[in-house]
Amino acid sequence: MSISADTALAASDIGERKPLTSGHLPGESSMWFFIIGDLLIFGVYFISYMIYRGQNQELFLQSQQHLNQGVGAINTIVLLTSSLFVALGTQAARDGKKSDAYRLWALALALGAAFPLLKMIEWIPKIGAGLTAGKNLFFTYYYMMTGLHLCHVLLGLVIMGFVMRNLRASTQPNIKFVETGAMYWHMVDLLWLVLFALFYLMR
Amino acid sequence: MNTRGQNILLWTTPVAGVLFLFAYFMFPPFSGPMSPTMTPEQVAAFFRENVASIRGVVIFCNLIGAMLVPLFATITVQMLRVGNSSPVFAYSYIIAVGIGMTAFILADFAWGVAIFRPDRDPQLISLLNDMAWFFFVAPVGTIIVQNLCLAGSIYLDARPDPVFPRWVAHFNVLTAVLMVPGAFALMHKTGPLAWDGSLSFSLRLITFAVYVAVMFCVLLTIVNRQVEHEGVVA
Amino acid sequence: MSGSITADGQYTTQQGTPWYKNKKLDQLICFWSVPFFYSLFGLVFVPLSWMMPPRSPASAMPQIVEFMQSPKLLIACTILTLAVGLSAVGNAVYMCQMKRMSVSPVFRFAFMAGAMTGAIVGCLFPMFCFGLGAFRSGYDPEILAMLYDFGYLSFIGCMGCFFLNWSCLGLSILLDTNNTLPKWLGYYTLWQSVSELVIAPVWIAKSGPFAWDGLMSFWLAMVIYVPWQMIVYICVYRAIKSQPESELDNAHLMPAANYA
Repeated sequence: MSISADTALAASDIGERKPLTSGHLPGESSMWFFIIGDLLIFGVYFISYMIYRGQNQELFLQSQQHLNQGVGAINTIVLLTSSLFVALGTQAARDGKKSDAYRLWALALALGAAFPLLKMIEWIPKIGAGLTAGKNLFFTYYYMMTGLHLCHVLLGLVIMGFVMRNLRASTQPNIKFVETGAMYWHMVDLLWLVLFALFYLMR
Repeated sequence: MNTRGQNILLWTTPVAGVLFLFAYFMFPPFSGPMSPTMTPEQVAAFFRENVASIRGVVIFCNLIGAMLVPLFATITVQMLRVGNSSPVFAYSYIIAVGIGMTAFILADFAWGVAIFRPDRDPQLISLLNDMAWFFFVAPVGTIIVQNLCLAGSIYLDARPDPVFPRWVAHFNVLTAVLMVPGAFALMHKTGPLAWDGSLSFSLRLITFAVYVAVMFCVLLTIVNRQVEHEGVVA
Repeated sequence: MSGSITADGQYTTQQGTPWYKNKKLDQLICFWSVPFFYSLFGLVFVPLSWMMPPRSPASAMPQIVEFMQSPKLLIACTILTLAVGLSAVGNAVYMCQMKRMSVSPVFRFAFMAGAMTGAIVGCLFPMFCFGLGAFRSGYDPEILAMLYDFGYLSFIGCMGCFFLNWSCLGLSILLDTNNTLPKWLGYYTLWQSVSELVIAPVWIAKSGPFAWDGLMSFWLAMVIYVPWQMIVYICVYRAIKSQPESELDNAHLMPAANYA
């Protein structure tokens, strides 16, 4: 999979730096299948949300007032920054800078871990105030969609942990695996952006 | 490798047999199962008049409900020794055992709930009684599939020295066929197919009792032969 | 037929091969029981009893009573009683492929437990709820309505065991280094298991997209489930066919000359 030492030396002679991967498509191809499919499934869910929102505009608008846009915005910033570190970390791994890559991913993980905590800060007072999933259709959608997304985030944190372990433990990190993990996390981020726009911003 | 575990589990089977027989005779009255034609009021009255003995049977069966599993587990272990290309029959067998046992225990629970508050609305008691009978009928289907899987694995045994004698396969197919009428108890309230009828009740239970006794003897022979032939410790 | 013991303790056949030609006959018999079972299942739940597609939780009482007293429900119960054991076989087929994977046995044993529970609480019990309503005339409409609810809720709202099973299968596929089943199937299986979670609101909603007959909790879940169920068994069939004969459990019993 990786290029031979000769070629690497030759390349550096010319003054270029070749990446350690040989494939054109970053990450595992099956992860692309997963990402596209996941986006499709979420897309269909979002469309159904819009349809029911159209049929119940008053109810949805009123219920949306209860959502905390501030916390939502913080969540967005947290995820976007985390994604940035993931991208930087992946590039560092490609460039062979193992310890930099590890540190960057660790930062990304720390930020990512803040997301579930923030979610709890949002959800728990609401549930305490009686705004549960059974309250009305808007809230069922809200908890379902953000809940599904939260599951994706938690899985993403686990994947990040495995990427970090790979970066630290092996002499030659598995770049494909790092890229796969990065792609997954970017997808999670993208999904949140759409969620944020649909549920929090569209009023 | 030794077969001590199998022997220990196998010998719990006659104990289970005795206990199940005891449970059967604990149920009042000795004359047999309740008729499906009883009205809710009659069912409720029956439960009210026999609280102590019904409770006894229910609790007892709750405790011994899983006691035939060791026999089935031993059969599964022997099925894994059979010369099939895969463990698919053995896996099917043990899953079916699990499904059937769950149904039996649910039947016991339904009767247990029915007798828990005998002064409940008679319709609810009758419903719980019906539910218990439905779940008592259900294992018929899992036993059919179990037995056909065992038969299948025996017929396809590629070993020059098969684990099970071939007649065991025929025997399993026969018992499976004899179980089939039992399922039709869900559709009849009178006659031999009703849940208290000669086919669905008597034939089914006698077939099952004979089956357990025969398979117990067969397994004893097989496990001891495993000791001789494969040099394992008894 | 008698055999002899070789120096290393293995039995060898003295005369020829077993009576059947296809070495994977046991796996194929069990595999083909699956379409048979699902067809029967489809027949029982759809045109026979019209339990599926699901009726509304908000149906009016007279309609519920009329549906719950149909004698066809009892025929459906009887057929399902006879057939439910085949769900064990269908699940065993999965387990055999899981055994070929490089993952720990714990995955397939957890799967096995889920298979047992699911067959009762998610399949047989719901159908029995409907049959119980039809078994005896004269039950109070309230009782029939309770059975109607219990039947649909347990059939459509049963999530836990299937979530466990599909997660075990999906994870096994993804972690498997033997490439027994394709990786994209592992991901699709995980979608199947996560979409079980979307079903949770059926225990709350009586109408709308999250009721047991709703767009989100039923119809979209079916759009994910039905193709998956067919695709996974096609992949399993291919996996059975492509398993090298030298890897079969009984390969040591077959004379070497008979290898494909």
